[in-house]
Amino acid sequence: MNIGWKEIKKNKSRFLILGSIIFLVSLLTMIISGLANGLSQDNAALIKDLPEGHFYMSEDAEETYNLSRIDSDVQHEIMNDHQNAVALSIQMGFLIDQEDKQQSVAFVTATDSKLFTQVDEREVIVDRSLKEKGIKVGDLLTNNQLRDELVVKGFVDQKKFSHAPVAYINSEDYKKMYNVEQMQLVFLPGENSAQNFTGLQSYSNKDFLSTIPSYNAEQMSLTMIVSFLIVISGMLFAIFFYMMNIQKIGLYGILKAVGIKTSRLFKMIWTQMLFITIIALALSISLSHAFNSIAPEGMPFHLTFETTTQLSIIFLVVGFIGATLSGLQIRKIEPLRAIQQGED
Amino acid sequence: MTIFTLDEVEKTFTNGEIEENILKGISLSLKEGEITALVGTSGSGKSTLLTIAAGLQPASDGEVLFDGNNLTTMSSEQVRKIRAKEFGFVFQFAHLVPFLTVEEQLMLMLEVSESTLSKREQKKEIDQLLNVIGMEHRKNAYPSSLSGGEKQRVAVARAIIHKPKVLFADEPTASLDSKRSKDMMELIRDLTKKMNITTLMVTHDEEMLTYVDRILQMSDGMVLENK
Ligand SMILES: Nc1ncnc2c1ncn2[C@@H]1O[C@H](COP(=O)(O)OP(=O)(O)O)[C@@H](O)[C@H]1O
Ligand SMILES: [Mg+2]
Repeated sequence: MNIGWKEIKKNKSRFLILGSIIFLVSLLTMIISGLANGLSQDNAALIKDLPEGHFYMSEDAEETYNLSRIDSDVQHEIMNDHQNAVALSIQMGFLIDQEDKQQSVAFVTATDSKLFTQVDEREVIVDRSLKEKGIKVGDLLTNNQLRDELVVKGFVDQKKFSHAPVAYINSEDYKKMYNVEQMQLVFLPGENSAQNFTGLQSYSNKDFLSTIPSYNAEQMSLTMIVSFLIVISGMLFAIFFYMMNIQKIGLYGILKAVGIKTSRLFKMIWTQMLFITIIALALSISLSHAFNSIAPEGMPFHLTFETTTQLSIIFLVVGFIGATLSGLQIRKIEPLRAIQQGED
Repeated sequence: MTIFTLDEVEKTFTNGEIEENILKGISLSLKEGEITALVGTSGSGKSTLLTIAAGLQPASDGEVLFDGNNLTTMSSEQVRKIRAKEFGFVFQFAHLVPFLTVEEQLMLMLEVSESTLSKREQKKEIDQLLNVIGMEHRKNAYPSSLSGGEKQRVAVARAIIHKPKVLFADEPTASLDSKRSKDMMELIRDLTKKMNITTLMVTHDEEMLTYVDRILQMSDGMVLENK
């Protein structure tokens, strides 16, 4: 007989209240995770969507990508040894459209690679978000550091850096604009471990993302909120079951006296915790994913099933720990004391 | 035939600095199928003796022997098994599980005692017993809707549904009025005689003694046979 289930059936409202709180907390957690992920996508999709690998900057750049200069000899050496290596540069800047409006963009140029869009001289390919700002294919855009005009050749999806839409340009134009010969970065996809190149420092994709100043600040505060919510949900379970157990000390004592194993009482708590959590999670997963698909265009919200699965597992583990901690008092209950106490 | 023996059982409680010798070397044996009453003034150690005999707390010294087993030397898991399968308990209050129906309370006890009956046979047993105690119409009721007397009758049913060898009862009628107390004692007597269950019962109600086979008087940590 599943006594845990029987208790839920008899005391529906009590468990419904706990279930609703867990549902709300987990829904909030998922929404905030979606927001964190959406913001990071909005901030740096250019880097986030790359395959795992390593970035290399010059050591003296002190983790600031736009101070980095890759020595051309070193770059050629790396490119010769590693076919899939790509050298790239990123600079924040402006494009002025035909109505003389400034659009802030992140200029990106890269050596031949499938990972970065290639553009001919005097052409530019921009993130689709600029289309909403009125830019069309064929438009002529200017930049005050460049004498020539750039022709818009097309749009790419979800390419952002430091919250600005990416503008892919040719390396010749880039050199003219910023007066530099060297590239800033080398990216080596798929390498298991970082390589040692003289004068260069390696960064995993994640490490490189956190060198973007706004990225770290955003993600850290949201991650903190998410962790707090998870801790709170664990405490909710612990407190709820603790209060329930306090009321049932007498009952547990009698059940132990008649020969019920303590492990069975633990299983009872676990069943209840699992039942509540699974229903609450199922609801919050479906609601948060529904929100994901109806979230307004401009809202940086992006939730994957991978994230919700991870969060659900964390919630289950935390709930289990909370329920178990509160259950530890059951082990200490002496059957005798319960018998000598009065009814209920 | 003797089924239960206490041999020179002692119990000492230490309350801070003070050592209190509650049981001072008690020896007694229970005969199979007999109802033995333990009487004495409040605080004379009746409950302490009963719970030591039932394996709910250890003795400070001496031995508790049941059906060839020495409870004093067994592990707590072995004692738990004996409590679950061979013992039944009734206390002053019914202590029923508030979220189980009458039928489920008994089902749970059959499960705890690792009954080998099929679910159908278990249900049949329960129906029969509920019939005997006149509670078959309350089979699906929860404890909160039962009267005090009904609760106590269910408690008796729970104590014997698994056909234990020994029934331990600590003032089972103390929460009932005189009429219900007598009904209760008749019920316990009927059932234990029919099922050949040995009973050790604590009471301080003189009226209940007419239903028992043997009376032991406790005083000053010792027992005296009372004819
Ligand atoms: N766990 C305990 N710790 C200390 N003293 C106890 C404990 N249990 C019982 N006593 C004492 O032992 C004495 C006998 O108690 P009890 O067996 O309950 O008596 P009775 O059931 O005859 O009224 C009482 O004085 C009681 O205070
Ligand atoms: Mg007592």
